[in-house]
Amino acid sequence: MISFSHRSRQWLSRSPLSLFSRLLTTITLLLCFTGSTTADTYDENLLLQPLSGQFLLASFNFQSLGPIQTFNKQLFELFPRSLGQILQYTHTRELHLRFALGRWDSELWGAQPGDGQNAGGTGVELWAWVEADDDAEAEARWTSLNNALSGLFCASLNFIDSTRTIRPVMSFSPTGDYPSTNSSRLFLLHGTLPKEPVCTENLTPFLKLLPCKGKSGISTLLDGHKLFDASFQSMSIDVRPICSPINGQCDIEIQQNIDMVLDISRSLQRKDSPVPRPRDQHELVCDTTKEYASNEYCYPLDNSFDLPWSLSDLFGRSIAGSCPFAVRHPPTPHVCIAAPKDRLVQPTEAATEAPSSPNGNRCYILQENQQFDVSLPKQEPPTIPLRKEPLLYAERSFTGHGQEHGGVKTVLRNPSAIDFIEVVYLESLPWFMKPYLHTLKAELLPPPRDPGDDHVISDLYYRPALDRKRGTQLEAKVIVPPNSVVILTYDFEKAVLRYTEYPPDANRGFDVASAIITVPPHRRRSDGKHVPATSIRTTSLLLSLPTPDFSMPYNVIIFTSTIMALAFGSIFNLLVRRFVAVDEVQRVDFKGKIAGLLGKLKKTKAE
Amino acid sequence: MEQPPPAQDRDLDPQAQRRARYRELLGNITMEKDGAAESSNPNEGGAVLPPEFEDAHAAEATYKEPPPERWETIRTRLWVLVSFWLIAIFLGLPLWHATTTIYRAPLPMQEMQNWSEGKLCKTEFPLLVEVEAPSLPDAENLLKTVQHALDDANDFAAHKPHHLRLRLAAKKAKTSDEDSKAEKDENVACLLRLIPDSQNGFNHEVQSSSRIVDIHYPQPSSSSQSSVSAGLAKFVAETLEVLFSQEQELIEHLLLPQTSNPGSLNALSSQSAEEARDKKAPPRPRALAADISRRMSRVVKYSANYHLTFSLFTATSIPASWDIESAISNYLTPLLSALSPISNFTISTQVQYYASISSSVTPAYDEDLKSWVLKKEDLSSFINSAEWPLASISNDPNLNFILYVPHPSVSPLTIPSATHANSFLLPQWGGVTILNLGQNTDPLGHLSHPTLKPALETFATHLLALLGAPPHPASLPIRLDSLTRQRSAEVLVSASSTLGSLQRLVNALPSISVPSTVGTSVKDSIRHLSLACEELRKGRFVKALEMGRIAQEEAEKAFFERTMVAQVYFPDEHKLAVYLPLLGPVSVPLVLGVFREVKRVIAERKKARAG
Repeated sequence: MISFSHRSRQWLSRSPLSLFSRLLTTITLLLCFTGSTTADTYDENLLLQPLSGQFLLASFNFQSLGPIQTFNKQLFELFPRSLGQILQYTHTRELHLRFALGRWDSELWGAQPGDGQNAGGTGVELWAWVEADDDAEAEARWTSLNNALSGLFCASLNFIDSTRTIRPVMSFSPTGDYPSTNSSRLFLLHGTLPKEPVCTENLTPFLKLLPCKGKSGISTLLDGHKLFDASFQSMSIDVRPICSPINGQCDIEIQQNIDMVLDISRSLQRKDSPVPRPRDQHELVCDTTKEYASNEYCYPLDNSFDLPWSLSDLFGRSIAGSCPFAVRHPPTPHVCIAAPKDRLVQPTEAATEAPSSPNGNRCYILQENQQFDVSLPKQEPPTIPLRKEPLLYAERSFTGHGQEHGGVKTVLRNPSAIDFIEVVYLESLPWFMKPYLHTLKAELLPPPRDPGDDHVISDLYYRPALDRKRGTQLEAKVIVPPNSVVILTYDFEKAVLRYTEYPPDANRGFDVASAIITVPPHRRRSDGKHVPATSIRTTSLLLSLPTPDFSMPYNVIIFTSTIMALAFGSIFNLLVRRFVAVDEVQRVDFKGKIAGLLGKLKKTKAE
Repeated sequence: MEQPPPAQDRDLDPQAQRRARYRELLGNITMEKDGAAESSNPNEGGAVLPPEFEDAHAAEATYKEPPPERWETIRTRLWVLVSFWLIAIFLGLPLWHATTTIYRAPLPMQEMQNWSEGKLCKTEFPLLVEVEAPSLPDAENLLKTVQHALDDANDFAAHKPHHLRLRLAAKKAKTSDEDSKAEKDENVACLLRLIPDSQNGFNHEVQSSSRIVDIHYPQPSSSSQSSVSAGLAKFVAETLEVLFSQEQELIEHLLLPQTSNPGSLNALSSQSAEEARDKKAPPRPRALAADISRRMSRVVKYSANYHLTFSLFTATSIPASWDIESAISNYLTPLLSALSPISNFTISTQVQYYASISSSVTPAYDEDLKSWVLKKEDLSSFINSAEWPLASISNDPNLNFILYVPHPSVSPLTIPSATHANSFLLPQWGGVTILNLGQNTDPLGHLSHPTLKPALETFATHLLALLGAPPHPASLPIRLDSLTRQRSAEVLVSASSTLGSLQRLVNALPSISVPSTVGTSVKDSIRHLSLACEELRKGRFVKALEMGRIAQEEAEKAFFERTMVAQVYFPDEHKLAVYLPLLGPVSVPLVLGVFREVKRVIAERKKARAG
């Protein structure tokens, strides 16, 4: 029955968890130093980074850590019980859930925050390590996990069925530690819902999982109207066990991230007038170097100055003091601004500036019950924003035409001048999109000098689709040489669906989930630096399938019935009618009858 | 037959001329008549003329009676017609029926109805009471008197399901092996210890942690031996009555709606029972009945497992933590282990910060009490179910116990209640305790386990009330035994009434499908119901509860079968409408064929009669 050991609980004071300590190694090290894992700890921080153009990246990170023993006994404190119970009930050891909307413009904005580890493909993406005895049990637990999460997050996760589930082989590896679990009992399952519209109803349960629930701390900034007005936004939840290599103490960690890219000018305009309207002429900054530039024609100049903004302008409110659980001794920063050094930053007086961090970010510590705001004034000429070159650029598109066949073309570009890069390219295709594996080709641009040196695909895992049972899974290990482009192409055939399998808006097309490109952690050859695991996702695609006329089944039934009835009628009549000569047919004298009737009528009238 | 007018007649109208020319044109083209010899004569044969060339006269002139049909032709036609009809009726219709019909597994309808009317099981609760009377010389005699008195009381109210049976504890040693074997699994409901005590008169004392009830009686002097023993007998009977009265009332209340079902055939007997009660038994006080139904309405549906959720909700971020683990193991685990024969419990706890109560709940400040007071009607909407994460994923019923720490601006917060405890119970849902933090709280905002003690004790009483344990007598084992009996009665009633509802549902909706799994579930349920009934009669209540629980589960599985509703949305009219384009054109020639044949037969008969 019930027996627990008495264990006193205390607030841990722990060395500060810096902003970029999301990596497992750092956390493990920190835990080793503090040596004590008897209580739940919580951290939250916000990173504001102006991107190229008029965009601002706001990265919210919430993280709580608690001993796994109390988690297993279902004694929840900072870890949300609603999620914890689901994980225990479905024996899920590690969970990654992503909600994303919009496209990360890597050409303009550079590498994704957190090396793309927190971003998901458009819509909803979920992958988890489920502990089970065999495949069937894992599948059942995965289904109940999806159903439970669907209820918790108000998303249609319950539609992740076997056709949308894959078991990646090369792309993912567990980020948690499993000292006591046999790895053969852990099953990785991955599902995507590219069509899912992410909206406020998903944000509300997300905020409810936080200990401060959007009532204090940086989460007060999160408002559905602003979040879903952003150019790109991604919410993520990661749960994993972390064990200390020294004393074997295990903790359960939950990380919640929200990354959003705000269009500053759009947000400011929203503030001034809720109804969008064209800008006045005097507000326009025109590029007068253009030859057609005159009073009538204006070529708008984007980056002529840095737009002024403050938190309350962009988010509609300021931060309402610190979340009491995220207060530490010595204090850890809560809000950081990664702006170029020459950009002026003006926080409110109540803020305490943290000692400058090594990467030059300006960080602030929130005080309890004191409003915090930060403003960056207009600056001319514009500062050059900090941009991190992504490891790889990836694009994917459809080729071909017609209702029967099509093709997919993926372009992978390695911007580095010297480093080779090895990536795992993962496609999860719906079953009605049937690729021909023999058409899979990798083209290298520029072509290699040695014609025998074009082995771009070094490894391939392919699991063909089964109609209505599972989708295609294609994983390819691709090596992209420096300063070159790899073009992967393949052809596919479009299946014809059954009548009831079409969604109500069949002519819109069918979403095909984003391809996931994973760069495994490696040591860069040029400078020997460690490159952490990075993932990049392409946009989702819209596949148009041949759609039937939906009144067709009834037409067919009626048409067939009529033909059958006609055939039956004539055969039957042939069999039972008697055939006689025309003059033998007994005629009905209609004329006489009608005349007689008319006469009768006349008679009665005359009378 | 009249000949057509001669062609050379010049006085005729132009139409007649045209007709004549047409006839010439046709020349020898004549239709052959079946089996007629006179085809050689074209004039007689009657050429085919379009109708416009024939006026009434001409038609009359060209019409010929078709030759009589041969018998073989008629017979073939009849065969064709009959075979088409036979195929339609014996192949088409069954096929149509088989492909569109709804599968309905056979259910033991009568038996289900009987169970729901309580005809098949007379619920009995034989209770064995042991008496230990070492200092009483004629204990046997005393027992007989008491048993007699109890039996009298039982006869007097025939509807009472309890049968108390007394036995001397010492006697056990003397009984033969066979006897003891039979009675081994029979549980002793309570043990009466008769202790002579000269100081106080008759009184009884219930021990709180065992089934022993001590009865003190004045030490009889040798002269007043008989009077004391008579008094003692009366007192023992009364004590037993007091001990089990509450349970009896409850179980009667449970069984009552079943026996007094007005539509049942049982109405007569239940009426007589009611009459008997009206006549003989003292009318039950209205307040007591109300109290019982109030208590019963709070009780959670029986389940073998319950999930208990202990939540600390605080309006601010203080207190940040609580010592719930040790508090539960100190104050609640003993009770839960005692309850384990009836139900098992799993526990989860959570802390939720910044939890505000529903906006509709506004406490008012009371100057006299120097506190904020919630209105009585606010208590029902106190739980902010939209914001508080209280749902549980487990399949077992969830009971919530909430410790609420109000915001400092509305502290101290109290509820209007007579008792000291600042708590209330939400029927079938859980309990809420409001904890006002005083000045002496831990600055770190930690609730230590002594602070939690009163709250957990309140939760324990809430739990017992939610499970339906009677508040008396003081002895916990006796109360739990009585809870077992009460729960078995409850599952029996609930399983039988579910079966009854299923039977009515299946009868009422002919379009509903009944899968075979429902049939097996119903059979299982009925089997376990009778087993449970048997176990009850033998006095093995724990076993009876288990059987009853299985019966209830099976009955509910049958009743809530998911596929049993699907057919409602696909009516027969729809199916018919889709296939009407086939059925209509096919049936019309079939019907007309019969019609024509019948007409022909009638005409032939007429002719035969006339001829």
